[in-house]
Amino acid sequence: MSPTPSSRSLSSRARSTRARWAVPVVAVAVVGGAVGLRPLVASAEGTDLPDVTVAELLEQVSQAESTPVSGTVVYTARLGLPSVPVAEMSGADPTALLGGSSTLRVWTDGVDRSRIALLGAVSEYSVVRDGADAWTYSSTSGEAVHYTLDEAGRARYEQMRVMAEEGTLPTLDPAAVPTALPDDVAGRLPAELAARIDAELAAGPGVTGELPTPQEAARAALRIGEAYSTFTMGEQKTVAGRQAYEVVVTPKDDATLVDRVVVDVDGSTFVPLRVQVWSTQDATAPALELGFTDVSYATPGEAVLTFSPPSGTQVREVVVPTQEEPSTADGTLPTPRDATVTGEGWSGVVELQGVDVAALVAGDPTALLDPSSQLTIGSETAQDLIQQFRPTDEEGQVGLELDAATLYDTLTTPVEGGRLLSSALVSVLVTDDGRVLVGAVPADTLRALA
Amino acid sequence: MSPADVAVPPAPPAGPAHRPLLPDAPAIRGAFLRLLRSELRLVLGRRRNQALLVGLSLVPLILGLVVRLTQDSALQGQGPGFIGEVTGNGLFLVVAALFVCLPFLLPLCIAIASGDAVAGEAQTGTLRYLLVVPVSRSRLLLVKAVGALVFAASCVAAIAVVAAVTGAALFGVRPLTLLSGDTVPLSDGALRVAGVALYVGLSFIGLVAVGLFFSTLTEVPVAAMAATVVVPVVSTVLDSLPQLDAIHPVLLTHHWFDFAEFLRVQVGWDVLAGGLALQAGWAVVFGSLAWARFTTADITS
Amino acid sequence: MRQAGAVTRPPTAEHTGGPVRAPSAPAAGRVTSPAPVPLPAGSGDDEAAVRTTGLTKRFRSGQVAVDHVDLLVPRGAVYGFLGPNGSGKTTTIRMLLGLVRPTSGEVQVLGARMPEDADRVLPHVGALVEGPGFQPYLSARANLARIDAADRTVDPRTSRARAEAALERVGLSAAADKRFRQYSLGMKQRLGLAAALLRPRSLLVLDEPTNGLDPQGTREVRTLIRELAADGTTVLVSSHLLAEIEQVCTHIGIMSRGHLVRQGARAEIADPSEARVVVTTPTAQAPAASAVLSGLGLTVQRTTDTGVEALLGDVPPAQVTAALVGAGVDVEGLAVRTPSLEQVFVELTGEGFDVAR
Repeated sequence: MSPTPSSRSLSSRARSTRARWAVPVVAVAVVGGAVGLRPLVASAEGTDLPDVTVAELLEQVSQAESTPVSGTVVYTARLGLPSVPVAEMSGADPTALLGGSSTLRVWTDGVDRSRIALLGAVSEYSVVRDGADAWTYSSTSGEAVHYTLDEAGRARYEQMRVMAEEGTLPTLDPAAVPTALPDDVAGRLPAELAARIDAELAAGPGVTGELPTPQEAARAALRIGEAYSTFTMGEQKTVAGRQAYEVVVTPKDDATLVDRVVVDVDGSTFVPLRVQVWSTQDATAPALELGFTDVSYATPGEAVLTFSPPSGTQVREVVVPTQEEPSTADGTLPTPRDATVTGEGWSGVVELQGVDVAALVAGDPTALLDPSSQLTIGSETAQDLIQQFRPTDEEGQVGLELDAATLYDTLTTPVEGGRLLSSALVSVLVTDDGRVLVGAVPADTLRALA
Repeated sequence: MSPADVAVPPAPPAGPAHRPLLPDAPAIRGAFLRLLRSELRLVLGRRRNQALLVGLSLVPLILGLVVRLTQDSALQGQGPGFIGEVTGNGLFLVVAALFVCLPFLLPLCIAIASGDAVAGEAQTGTLRYLLVVPVSRSRLLLVKAVGALVFAASCVAAIAVVAAVTGAALFGVRPLTLLSGDTVPLSDGALRVAGVALYVGLSFIGLVAVGLFFSTLTEVPVAAMAATVVVPVVSTVLDSLPQLDAIHPVLLTHHWFDFAEFLRVQVGWDVLAGGLALQAGWAVVFGSLAWARFTTADITS
Repeated sequence: MRQAGAVTRPPTAEHTGGPVRAPSAPAAGRVTSPAPVPLPAGSGDDEAAVRTTGLTKRFRSGQVAVDHVDLLVPRGAVYGFLGPNGSGKTTTIRMLLGLVRPTSGEVQVLGARMPEDADRVLPHVGALVEGPGFQPYLSARANLARIDAADRTVDPRTSRARAEAALERVGLSAAADKRFRQYSLGMKQRLGLAAALLRPRSLLVLDEPTNGLDPQGTREVRTLIRELAADGTTVLVSSHLLAEIEQVCTHIGIMSRGHLVRQGARAEIADPSEARVVVTTPTAQAPAASAVLSGLGLTVQRTTDTGVEALLGDVPPAQVTAALVGAGVDVEGLAVRTPSLEQVFVELTGEGFDVAR
C-alpha cells in the first residue's frame, strides 16, 4: 500500500503521542538520576591525598582536637538487639540509639562548648555543654537538667582552662579526669565507645543521656593502645564530601566480638568524620556506624552554644561530685568505681558488684544515677493527681509506659542465674546475686566468668 | 423559539460568499488570567470545597478549646509533646493544629480537590465543552493544577490563620520555645511558625500532581480522589518499615514532618530544601505523566 | 488534489414486493471500492466546511466505531447526519472537534486540519456534543460566563451582552439565574445551544439537538437552524430521528455500523433511478401491461390483478404511457413513485430506529 495522506498522518500522530509519553519517561530518569547521584560515602575516586603513616595521622588527629566542627551526623546501630518499637514513637530519646538509624546535629567550638541534638520527628533531645555547665533538654518531656560541677570540680576545671589557655595542658591523661563515668552509659554503650567518655568528661560535668559524636568515638578508638591493636592505613575515601584517610584498628585479641574499627579522617583538617565498628558476627555491614553526612569547620554561632531553659520549665539541678578515679595509664578501659576488670584490652570484662538492677530499671534509664529524678507532668496539681494512679516503686519513682523495666525485659533474655543482653558488639550479664558483667566478648565468656 | 419568540439576529456584515473560511481570531491579552480567575472562582466558590475549608478551620478551634478546658485537669499534657506547649503560647496552636491535620485530614481535602480537577469536569460533561471552546489541553491542565494548588494553600492557610487567632485569643502569644529548648523573640517565633505553615503548604505539591494524574485517568472523580488519598497513607506505612529504608528518602511523605526544622535552634535549610526538592521531583514526574495522559487521551465523556 | 467523497453505495436491496430486506452485513471491503458519490453542485475543495478522508476510529477495546468515513459537508449546507444510535455519528463528531484522535484518516474543518489546528478552527465552530454538559451548581448565566472566560479570542467586555443575547435566542432569559441542576432536560438542551451561539460561528455542529425536547421545542430548534443557515452558517446536525430534521436539511449523510452508507444533496438521496412506475389496469390486462413494460427494458417487480409495478430506470414516464397506449392497454392510472427518505434510511441502515449492535 502506497503511503496515503492518512497513513502519513497516522504515523505522525503516533509519533506525537509517543513523544508526549517520552516526557514523563525523561522526567522519571532525570529525577531518579538526581536521587541516585547523592552518594555520601564514595570510595577512592578522585581522592589524591598525600600518603601518610599511621603515626603521622594519629599525631595530626590529636592536634586537630580543638577544631570547631558543625554538621549532621547519622548514627546507625545494627546490634542485633530486639527491636524497641516504642522508642520510635516517643520522640527523640537517647534510647533510640540502641537500634536503627538516628540523626544528630553537632556543633562544637573545639574547646569546651558544644551542642549535640538528637533529632526526632517533631522532637529533639539536646545536650549543651557550655564550659563548666551542661544542660540536657528533651522536647518530648519538656524537662531540662542542669549539670554543674561541685566546688572541687569547678576549681579543677578553672585550673585546666587556664592551663589550656597557656598551652600547658598535658595530652589527655585519664588519670587527670576528675569525673565519673556514668554507669548507665557504660552499660548501654559498647566498651570502646564507653572509653571515649573519660575524654569527654575532661572538659566538664558528666551528663547522663550522653550523645555520641564521630570525633569522640574515633579518638576513643584510636587511643586504645597499640599493645592491643594493629593500626593500618586503609583506602582513601570521600566522606561527607571530604577527602579522607582511613585507619583500620584491628584487635590483636581473638576473644572479642569486635572485628575491626574503621576510622575515616578528613584529609585536610584531620577531624574524624566517620567511625565504623565491625562485629565478628556480621561481615556485610558495620554493627555501629557514626559519621558526618555533612560537615563544616566554621565556628558555631553563639546562639547554638549557649542554653537557657525555657521560662516555666522545671529545671532539675544535678551537681556532679568530684571523686578520684582509679584508672589505667596506657589506654585500657577506665573502670568505674566498685568495679573489677577481668582480662585486658578489647576482651576485658568489667564486673560491677552490688548493683540493685531491680531498683535501677524502675526509673528512666537516663536518670539511673539519680534517684531524685521525677517525671514532670504539667502543673503540680495534675502531677499529684496522676501520681496517685501511677505505679511507683519503693523509691517513689514514676514508671513510664516506655519504662526501663519494659526496656530491660525486651532487651534481655533470662538465662540460668540471671538475665543476658547479647548484641553484635557487647554482652551484658546481670546475675541474680547483683553482679553486672559487661564486655565486648561473646555471652558465653561472661557466663563462664560469672 | 417560534419565529415570534426569537429575536431576529442582525444580518451578518458580509454575505456567506464573502466571509473567509477561517477568519482570523487572535488571542486577547490576559486571556489566561481570565480563565484562571474563572477557575479559582469555581474552586473556591464551590460549596463542597468551602465546607472542607470550614471543617479544617474547626480543627484548631476545637483543639484550642479542648486544651483550654482541660488546662488544669488531669488530661493536660496528653498527646504529642508540643500540644502541651499550647497552653504556654498560643503561637504553638498553629504548629499543633498543622501537626494534627498533616497525616490525614489535609491530604484528604487536597486529594478531593485535585482528584476532582479533571475527572469532575469529565463527569459533568463540561470537559468536552471547555476543550471545544477551544482551550488547549496543556493550558487547561495548567489552570487545573494552579486551581488545586491554590485550594491546597487555602486549606493550610485556613488552619494556620484560625489557629493563630484562636491561640492568641485563648492563650496569648509569647516568645517561642523551640524544640531545642531555646527561646526566640516573638517576631522571630512568628516568622518561624509562618515558615512551618509555608513548608507544610509546599509539601503538598507532590500530592496535587499525583491527584491531577489520577484525575486524568478516569471520568469518575471519586475513584481519582480515593486513589489519591491512598498514596500518602501507603507512603506513611512504607516509611515506617525499617526493612524499606532504602526507598524511604523518595517517599512522598518522608519529609512532611521536617517542618520541625523551623523549631530547631538552627534551621536546617538543607533539610527543608531536600524536602522541597522531593516534592518538586514528585511534581515533575506526576505532572508530566498527567500532561502526557491528558494531551493524548480521547475525551469520550 | 485528493479525490473527494469516496463513499460507495451498498448493493441495493432488490424490491421484491415483500418487506424491505436489510442489506447483508456491511462488509468493510465494500466501502473501500471507490465509486464516488457525485459532489453537490458547485462544491469545490474550498467550499467544504467539513471534509474527512478515510476517517477511522478503532478504540482500545478493539471496537471499530468509525470505519473509513469520507464526510463532505459543503459550505452553507444544513447537513443532516443520520443514523441509528451507536452507528458512529457521535464518535465522528468528536473527531471533527478534536476530542477523539482518529486511528487513521484525515479531518479538515473550515479548510484546516484537525486536531492539529484546533486553536485556529474551533473558535469558529459552535458545538453541542452528546447532550449539554454544565456545572450543576452554577446558574445558566454563570455557566456561560465560565465557557466564555475559557475562550481566549473573545473580548471579555462583550461577554455579558453576548451571553444575554444567546440566552434570549434560545428562550432562556427568564430562567438565566436558576441553577443548571434545576433545569428540565429541554432547558438544558437549550442552554447547550446557547453556549454554541455565544459568538458568531461559521460552523455549528449539533449532536442530537432535539433530544429531550417536546414537539414544540423540536420545531423551535428547526426554526433556529433555518435562521442560522440563512445567515450563512453551515450546520451539521445529527439525529437518530429522521423526521425531526429531514425538513431543514439540504444535505444528508447516513451512517450505519460505522460506515457512511450514503451522502449527498437531499434531492439526490432519494435516487430517481430507483423510482418505480405503478400502472393500474383492468384485471385482464395486467399481463399485457407487464409485457409492454418488459419490452421497454423495465424490470417488472410485481404483477397483480389490477396492475403492474416496475422499476422505471432511465425510461421517461411519457414513453411508458405512450407504449402502453400504443399496445392497446387501457391505462386506468399511472404513477411514478420515488422512494421516501425514510424508506432509504430504513433500507440502508436496516434497523430503523433501533440501536445498532
